[in-house]
Amino acid sequence: MSQADNPKRNIAELESIAAKLRLRVAEMVAPTGQGYVQQGLGSADIFTALYFAEARVDPGNPDWEDRDRVFLTTAHNTAIFYAALAERGFFETGRLSTYCEDGSPLEINASERMGRFVEATCGSLGQGLSVAVGAALAAKRQGRPTRCYVVLGDGEMQEGQVWEALMSAGAWGLDNLCVILDFNEMQCEGHMDNVVSLRPVADKLESFGFAVHDIDGNDMASILNALDAARETKGKPTFINAKTLVGKGVPALEGFMAHQLMFPPEVAENAIAVLKENLS
Amino acid sequence: MLLEGETTFDGAPFDGISFDLCSRRKDVVMVSADLSKYTQIIRVKEELPDQHLDVGMAEQNLISVAAGVAKAGFVPVATTFAVYATRRAYDQMVICMGTSPHTSIVVGFTPGIANPARIHHQAAEDLGMLRSVPNATVIDPMDVTDFKQALDVAVDLPGLVYMRGHRGNTPRLLDPQKFKFELGRTYRLRSGSGTGIIATGHATQWALEASGILEDRGIDHSLLHVPTIKPVDETGLADFCFAHDRIVTIENHQIVTGLGSLVAEVVSDVGGGPRITRLGVPGSWAPGGTLPYIREQLGLDAAGLADRIREAGR
Repeated sequence: MSQADNPKRNIAELESIAAKLRLRVAEMVAPTGQGYVQQGLGSADIFTALYFAEARVDPGNPDWEDRDRVFLTTAHNTAIFYAALAERGFFETGRLSTYCEDGSPLEINASERMGRFVEATCGSLGQGLSVAVGAALAAKRQGRPTRCYVVLGDGEMQEGQVWEALMSAGAWGLDNLCVILDFNEMQCEGHMDNVVSLRPVADKLESFGFAVHDIDGNDMASILNALDAARETKGKPTFINAKTLVGKGVPALEGFMAHQLMFPPEVAENAIAVLKENLS
Repeated sequence: MLLEGETTFDGAPFDGISFDLCSRRKDVVMVSADLSKYTQIIRVKEELPDQHLDVGMAEQNLISVAAGVAKAGFVPVATTFAVYATRRAYDQMVICMGTSPHTSIVVGFTPGIANPARIHHQAAEDLGMLRSVPNATVIDPMDVTDFKQALDVAVDLPGLVYMRGHRGNTPRLLDPQKFKFELGRTYRLRSGSGTGIIATGHATQWALEASGILEDRGIDHSLLHVPTIKPVDETGLADFCFAHDRIVTIENHQIVTGLGSLVAEVVSDVGGGPRITRLGVPGSWAPGGTLPYIREQLGLDAAGLADRIREAGR
């Protein structure tokens, strides 16, 4: 079996990987208290499904032209992103301990200069989906099997460019494009419904020409089923509305709406202890 | 390197340039945001549809989709008006194209005052905006020959290339047999002493017109064409400046942040040097109207320029 093949593992195995990634997120953020803990814990299952069950990527050959491309448009959600990449073998897991240290390549925002496994520099919210649309369209014209996966933020959907990109993807029927909305309902100023609500998300996306799946984004089987359905869907792109719980896996943090949580040492210790226990 | 005799014009220069390029280079894709007709890429659209892409009236999507297309191995040439590329999608150019190693070209049409529809269609600050982007290439060609050759070079450059475009009746001034566009190089079109004129893009056409008047009046001068705003041959530029008593820069752009500023920076880096007079859009909104009218209003018509150059030389 080639490195590039991503075998569908069993649910328990994937959940175990997700638990490990959550622990890594807490450990990475604990030393400085910097980083997007809540979002990382909330989206760990999505990243696990993408990197360990779905996307055809090859850590030994990140430039592989026929690879699937994973775009993290919320480029600040890097603790979980880096943890997943390291665990998948794109770089040594030992480097995770340098996260957000001055001089470390693991900066708080991911950028292309890290390597081809960062498909696009996306720190300015609202742009990444368009880049993925361009890459998906190009793959179609080239006849490549490449599929493009986009982890999109819910607050990010308030950016106008996202809707330009959605409109074009729907109009062009890009069935090799799969958008996964990390719908944690949180943005800088609090709950999205108290700022500018996205609801009804599914109706909006269906009207834009997407196949839409409403799922529990912390349920591994649901994520895999939606990704399976996306691959089978022809003639239209897929939008997976994945409802996630911020702080998932640490009861004291679950549902705590803190966009950029400073992680006091005692909270970090508690989180790490809980996540270690989950892992065992 | 200038053509002699009666000047000829091309009514749709980019139609031919883009079609010729796409015919030779199957990896090049012309990307439009509903302006294929107005940026004159209709021939590619109709005859080479696989090398044409229209994202609709959505310039932010235009730039980012083009960047995505580049990641897959194509060379995108995103075409729109310079105002939309820079003011509406500057962030997208900087982030999606500017931080990427893949060749991504943006051609901004109707730059400066080359549009009758006033400020919302007149990008008189685009060169300054793009000059500020690390590693970006910025080109302001003067005529059909320069435009064609610069694009041929641009498709093999890494990262973001921003180029100002010409549309509609565009003169052929440079002899394609004698002129060879080289990135960063400056070109001496008139040799003399006293006042050194430095111009770029459309303004080099205007400078040539003024040069004719100055010559008739017996006023000694030189003219340097600087098509590459970034990266530029700073030594050549400085040598030209220090060989003259006075320098006058002319640009189809605000007199801040563009060519005039570039020349002042280069001279200042050396220290001392001649006085520099910067001509262009003088810190105000240009009016709408025909190009001759706007030029006259801003003192950028041939006679106005000749008078101001003579004044600067006193």
